[in-house]
Amino acid sequence: MAEGAAAATGFPDRGAAPLASLPGRVRASNAARTAVCLALALAAAAALTLLFGRYGERIAVQMCVNVAAVVALGAFCGNTGIVSFGHGAFMLIGAYLSGLLTMPAALQRTALPELPALLAGWELSVWAAAPAVALAGLAFAAASGGAIARLAGASATIATLGLLIIVHGVALGAREVTRGSQTFFGVPRATDLAVALGAALLFIVVARAFRESRWGLFARAARDDAAAAEALGVDPRRTRFVAWCVSGTMATLAGALYGHMLGAFSPASFFLPLVFAQVAMMIVGGMTTVSGAVAGVLVATLLQDAVRQAEGGFTLLGVDVPAVFGLTTVALGLAILLVIWRRPRGLTGGRELGPGPGARLFAGLAASVEPAPPPARAVAAALEAQGLSRSFEGVAAVADVGFSAPTGAVTGLIGPNGAGKTTLVNLLTRAYDADAGAARFGGADLLAAPRTGVARLGVARTFQNLRLFGGLTVFENVLTAALAAGRPRARAEAIALRELAAFDLGALADIRAEALPYGARKRLEIARCLAQEPAMILLDEPAAGMNPAETDDLAARLTRVQAERGVGLLLIDHDLRFVNRLSSRIVVMNRGRVIAEGAPETVRADPAVVEAYIGRGRTASHAKLHTPDQTEGETT
Amino acid sequence: METLVQQVVNAVSLGGVYAMLALGLAIVFSIVRLINFAHGEVMTFGGYGVFLALAFGAPPLAALATGVGAAVAMALALERAAFRAMRGADVVTLLITSFAVSEILKVLFQNGISARPVPISLPQSWSGTWRLGELTIGVAPTVSIFVTLAAFAGLTLILRRTTVGVAMRAAAEDLEMLQLLGVRANRVVATAFALSGLLAGVAAVIWTAQRGSVDPMMGFFPVLKAFIATVLGGLGSLGGAVLGGFAVGFLEVMAQAFLPPALAPYRDAVVLAAVIAALLARPDGLLPARRGERS
Repeated sequence: MAEGAAAATGFPDRGAAPLASLPGRVRASNAARTAVCLALALAAAAALTLLFGRYGERIAVQMCVNVAAVVALGAFCGNTGIVSFGHGAFMLIGAYLSGLLTMPAALQRTALPELPALLAGWELSVWAAAPAVALAGLAFAAASGGAIARLAGASATIATLGLLIIVHGVALGAREVTRGSQTFFGVPRATDLAVALGAALLFIVVARAFRESRWGLFARAARDDAAAAEALGVDPRRTRFVAWCVSGTMATLAGALYGHMLGAFSPASFFLPLVFAQVAMMIVGGMTTVSGAVAGVLVATLLQDAVRQAEGGFTLLGVDVPAVFGLTTVALGLAILLVIWRRPRGLTGGRELGPGPGARLFAGLAASVEPAPPPARAVAAALEAQGLSRSFEGVAAVADVGFSAPTGAVTGLIGPNGAGKTTLVNLLTRAYDADAGAARFGGADLLAAPRTGVARLGVARTFQNLRLFGGLTVFENVLTAALAAGRPRARAEAIALRELAAFDLGALADIRAEALPYGARKRLEIARCLAQEPAMILLDEPAAGMNPAETDDLAARLTRVQAERGVGLLLIDHDLRFVNRLSSRIVVMNRGRVIAEGAPETVRADPAVVEAYIGRGRTASHAKLHTPDQTEGETT
Repeated sequence: METLVQQVVNAVSLGGVYAMLALGLAIVFSIVRLINFAHGEVMTFGGYGVFLALAFGAPPLAALATGVGAAVAMALALERAAFRAMRGADVVTLLITSFAVSEILKVLFQNGISARPVPISLPQSWSGTWRLGELTIGVAPTVSIFVTLAAFAGLTLILRRTTVGVAMRAAAEDLEMLQLLGVRANRVVATAFALSGLLAGVAAVIWTAQRGSVDPMMGFFPVLKAFIATVLGGLGSLGGAVLGGFAVGFLEVMAQAFLPPALAPYRDAVVLAAVIAALLARPDGLLPARRGERS
């Protein structure tokens, strides 16, 4: 069964390279993918300059500035899944601040006579101004990120739009500093091809490194499933905040670059038309990846330039086509619609361009890590609840529940649908707030912990409705969990390999979780949980939807893991045969209350349990819950 | 005292416009998860409807009706042409789609009609005032308050009492299930767009009647405020949208009236900052939409 599982999933066996070399292959693949992005930008800039001379060079400079800006934008949007319209604000700040710090002092005195002394007369070089600009960007990102990061999804997008409008409005109002809506001029045109290209390449490297870093992984995990990330101890707000700060700092520098390209600009230069163009480039290429951002800029630059030729009106076959203003906007708009319609994940299809870890190119790499040994046996402790209650709009989902589940043993938690089992798990893991009661694990008060602090106390969980990080690979899913538990990278990689091997996921390691078949998803969720090396695991219907063979396989794996590591399992399932087989004690709930507790045999004979499952009357008195054949009927 | 009453009337009137726009956004969002950036262009088109009807010599009231009709037609056309093909896509995809449609429409208005404001001349009496005891109050804001209230009452009736209204509320919960029950999803979604267009049309008529001109960006700024209002109220919650709309309108008028002159250029920034501060305290909005999601 263990050997056959990968083949049975219908995936080709790609495990030709040994699992132990996977972390090395992932690193090599990441480096190769960064190189592909760099090569794309470099080749496009070279081609434009060589083919079209001075004119091409101008386009190339603009393209490189856009690469820098869009890669910066993607560092937030791609990793958090939140489209930002607020990056125009960062660019505005970068352009104006760098302009103020670098413009000739004499010019500044005439153009901006009322400029506050703090900003006046610096006349720095562009390079000397850059650190101050970056710092200002970081400070602004930190200030605004406190608000933006609290919001998720579409609300966050609209808040970023609000931020853009606020900064635009302030720039229009602060005439002493910005000349209001009038042109701000005298900014040294320092952005030549070398500077722009250098910045674009540097930004690509930074964005790629951030995406594959610990924080990039956390942000992408929280993007794919916030609740699962919280259960692992990853705070989605903090990941959004970090991504916002990194991305905002980069965007501020990109704004300075843009300002030094233009030489003269006004607040309108950074308002919606610019933001629209950059968001469009990001979406056309593919929002979630750096190569998508680069490819999007290249395609959009070519498109915009071709259309711009036509914008001023032209003669086609003797017919005068009149000038149409905003034709490039229409072209970009149509490009977005077409791409979204035909390729919803953008031209790059949501994948970084370049060879993956499974590519033949990396097959020869030697193993770089030894799989980690099993963790130390979990210390004796118990998960204990007393008087735990929670009502939803007057319905007591969990009422006065008390029970105890020790480590080193499997405790079953059964009950009919609606008995309150999942609510109980949600209370214990802080997904819901308890109305009353206490819950402790070992010496720690679970109910006093924040939602993201439960994992640190040694309590992990799986979810009834699978919650995987769909956009991450199988390996990354497990790696994220190990990193979130505070392990250093190399150690986390070793742990991830161990869990992949234990749940027979090695052959699927570089497949995205969303592409997995159902049984493998279930196994992955448990593997991810185990990578945190918890002392107690709450398994919410791990066997639901599995066929009998898969259930048997899962039972064998759980038994082995439990025996090897001494962890405690709280096992919820409707498959009573499965629960009976694994558990040494069983807790039965019905209508929010614990109705029986004890050894499996005792519980099965308990009339209250029989009544809860089958009801009262003649049929019930003939029913014997302990015969496996009849309990089969309960599994639905 | 008099200023205060006048400002309150202005605040309720402006808030009503924002509330109608926000409610239109919320109706569509609750059913198809679309944050409709092109809603502003629906409103603008309503304004152009008024302009064109007047230009062709229609009497003022008929022109206003034409404006409302034009907005409904535009909303339906957008649903059919752009959004139906994308139905079921994720929130970001839909948002970007509408963003692109909005940009394209703006360019079309600029080139097809005029990049500059076109005038709308309505009867003088409409911009007059009336007296209540010692107070002088504008006619247009007063009428707009009554029109807004009538629109909300009508919409509540439709949502609560008619079959299509119940179908729309059901669609907000689960569109797919509704289809399985044999309800025509396209009709329900189209009705939602028509209602949002109707509200945008009424907003456009009130807006143009008070300002006397239409330009390609006319709908853009009020709809931006309406976006903020929907988030402030709680995205996807209809009651929240109305509440958010009135809150934003109220903040804006009060900022206009009582901010010191030195801060006047920063009015919008101050209002938005206040809204964002409110969201810090309540990230899900003032009246969060209910979500039935199980772990």
